Amino acid sequence: VSAAASPGKAAATRVVQALVLVSLFGLLWAATGAVPGLPSLAGTTGAIGFLLLTGTLGSELVEVVGLPHLSGYLLAGIVAGPHVLRLVDHHAVEQLTRVNALALALIAMEGGAELKLAALRKGLRSLGWATLVQSGLVLVVMASVFVAARPFIPFLRPLPPLAVAGVGLLWGTLAVSRSPSATLGILSQTRASGPLAQSTLTFVMSSDVVVAVLMAAMLMIARPLIEPASSFSLRELTHLGHELLGSVALGTTLGLVLAAYVRLVGKQLILVFVALGFGLTEMLRYVRFDALLTFMVAGFVVQNLSRQGERFVKAIGETGSVVYVIFFATAGAHLDVPLLQKLWPVALLLAGARALATFGAARIAARAAGDLPVMKRWGWAGLVSQAGLTLGLSAVVERTFPSFGTGFRSLAIATVALNEMVGPVLFKLALDRSGETWKGPRPSLSSLSDPALGKET
Amino acid sequence: MGLLLLAYVGSFLVGGHAIRGIGLPSGAEYLVLGFLVGPDVLGLLERSTLRDFDPLAHVALGWLVFVIGATQGTTRGRRVPARRLVAGWLVTLFTGALVGGVVWLLLPWAAPSLPRLDRLLVGGGVGAAAAETTRYAVRWVVERHHAAGPVSELIGDLAEGDALVPLLAVAILFALPAAGPTLAVPRGGVVGITLGVGVVLGAMAAALLGRTFRIAETWGVLLGVTLLAIGITERLELSTITATFALGVTLSLLSPHRRELAAMLAPTERPVMLPALLLAGAHVDFAAAPYLPFVLSLAVAARVVAKGLVGLGLLAASRAARPAGSRLGLGLLPAGALSTSVGLAFALRFHGPVGAVVLAAAVVIALFGEFVGPASLRAVLTRAGELRADAPDPAREVPA
Repeated sequence: VSAAASPGKAAATRVVQALVLVSLFGLLWAATGAVPGLPSLAGTTGAIGFLLLTGTLGSELVEVVGLPHLSGYLLAGIVAGPHVLRLVDHHAVEQLTRVNALALALIAMEGGAELKLAALRKGLRSLGWATLVQSGLVLVVMASVFVAARPFIPFLRPLPPLAVAGVGLLWGTLAVSRSPSATLGILSQTRASGPLAQSTLTFVMSSDVVVAVLMAAMLMIARPLIEPASSFSLRELTHLGHELLGSVALGTTLGLVLAAYVRLVGKQLILVFVALGFGLTEMLRYVRFDALLTFMVAGFVVQNLSRQGERFVKAIGETGSVVYVIFFATAGAHLDVPLLQKLWPVALLLAGARALATFGAARIAARAAGDLPVMKRWGWAGLVSQAGLTLGLSAVVERTFPSFGTGFRSLAIATVALNEMVGPVLFKLALDRSGETWKGPRPSLSSLSDPALGKET
Repeated sequence: MGLLLLAYVGSFLVGGHAIRGIGLPSGAEYLVLGFLVGPDVLGLLERSTLRDFDPLAHVALGWLVFVIGATQGTTRGRRVPARRLVAGWLVTLFTGALVGGVVWLLLPWAAPSLPRLDRLLVGGGVGAAAAETTRYAVRWVVERHHAAGPVSELIGDLAEGDALVPLLAVAILFALPAAGPTLAVPRGGVVGITLGVGVVLGAMAAALLGRTFRIAETWGVLLGVTLLAIGITERLELSTITATFALGVTLSLLSPHRRELAAMLAPTERPVMLPALLLAGAHVDFAAAPYLPFVLSLAVAARVVAKGLVGLGLLAASRAARPAGSRLGLGLLPAGALSTSVGLAFALRFHGPVGAVVLAAAVVIALFGEFVGPASLRAVLTRAGELRADAPDPAREVPA
């Protein structure tokens, strides 16, 4: 909720929140120092609690300066994480990755369920143009910028020009990827509704599939350029076909089962989601299906092939306050601050160029599709965020090309860090300025005694 | 893992029926189910797999006791009078001390070579697990049979105050062994730190929730403080359940929104309790120590005697209790969530015979209480004339 949407928060409230936040950090820092032999006092369970608490408080405090809640979650994670105060150590951060898989499942299901067939049909022309221009133009521009920035990128120096071009194509593909979690996180906070919110969500969710296809194609093209001894192979596309078809099939089945469950039982939905999320994420990892796509399709099926969409979305939405905090605070704790310090000039160059390319592509696509003025003006702002999906793709590149993969991934991490911090701010700004942010009241603890408001929770 | 998750979800789905419809007040069926799927019977869950669930068990126990703490002192929307709360503390102290004392005193007879510390932990642990009269049994009888009157009110009030003493005992017992990370403080200080973690975090939560806070963020704060308390105490090998109880009580005492918080938290109590019971049942190892059968029979017998004496004491001291008659003590026998929580907390903290013996004792006490307690409670309330003759047959009720 924007600052404007939560009136009545006195300065005293902010002071109390700030004091508690500082006390929490202080207490845990002092206590960790007082117990020898423990790198962090919190452990994994405590780390979740600590990040949840400090992320919630951080989000309340950054609201004062108009920043989105996601920025507060990220900041809390960065400060508490292993690179700054070390209150949450590396081990705990790694353990939290499993919890994050669950968060991602819920986020993807919510994202899929927010896509309504009627709205998709209505915005098909716009989506088509945006996908074409954003994917094509951003890929080409970013590949060119990357190649041009070769003198500043250490791991590119020993590579021959053709190989640099191949790596550039991979970087361009990375630049095309967006962050469904950041988009949904901002929409969950702002409860925005309107053409900008809807088209951004539709584009970002569908771009998951587009990027997967692009990455497979680019791996196929780049491999002979980077490793001249290797031959052209369609293996990646075959794997991708299996992955996509399998994910869609499994997602559809899951969606139908969930719809039947919501209709026939309809109780303890959150717990069912959590259990399914945990179990299925592990299974999907085992069979190498795309978890994001599977859960997204499941949500889409429930929304569009059954009458249970509203209940389903409401139940998932109830987890939002906790899921997004943990997801982004963990992302903050994951953020490699020393690496960012080392690579920030080139990361800034690449992130800046990507934002400009995205801006330009959005303008062109909006004009070609005849979009509303709000789309022409702000359509790019929701496409800057990058997070886990991009990092996942960079890990694929690292595995495929070990010779330069580590450097490639490090640069990707540094660039994603910038986009992760700036992107949500831009998207929220766009939603606020375009008037799509919900401005009504939200149920508070006091409103529990008011049945009308209490029910809304 | 999948099996336990399914059981976990299943327990939630069925859990809602337990109070007013089908199900047992102690949740004993989940203890038995856990035992059946556990390593000693069907072997669907191996002991090593169970260890993977330790963090989940810690969280379930911590949350359960946090909710008990946050809703402490109120029953069916009414504040329990202070003198009855104190009476509840005294009753649990007497029961726990008598059972624990008897076990501690007679244990060398069955286990002569048992180290002193282990003997103390077994005696203290069994005493702590044996102290409660579960409030669920009282609610179960009251709701199922529409009981109303001074006796049911008295028993309900006493049961509301049964958590403090066992949980303090657990904090003290957990401070005894010098294992785990070294805290450079005396044992009393360790107990203080256990309580302090809960009190400080509870005060912070109250300060935050005292301001205008949206409900979505309220859940973040509540979960955050509880998980942090669980994480810290687990890491320092302190009593998690004592810390979260202190957290809940502090929050309830300091927050101006205690009623709203209780309304938010209460529905989560039963759904968390049942999977915790399932895990506890799966953890039970009746072959953990050769002296286990001796401890079990001693604990059950001592508890019957202790509750019998408590019943007689109440008849003598309270005019409200007199219509109940001499079976009142047996009516106080039901045990459940708290006993099993204490047992499971021991099993998680002491990975050996000590933890296993205390858990087995807690489970047997809960099962025995299930057989004897509710029937006795019903008989007591019938004798007192507090069961409505026109109460509908629960078997014909549509489950809630």
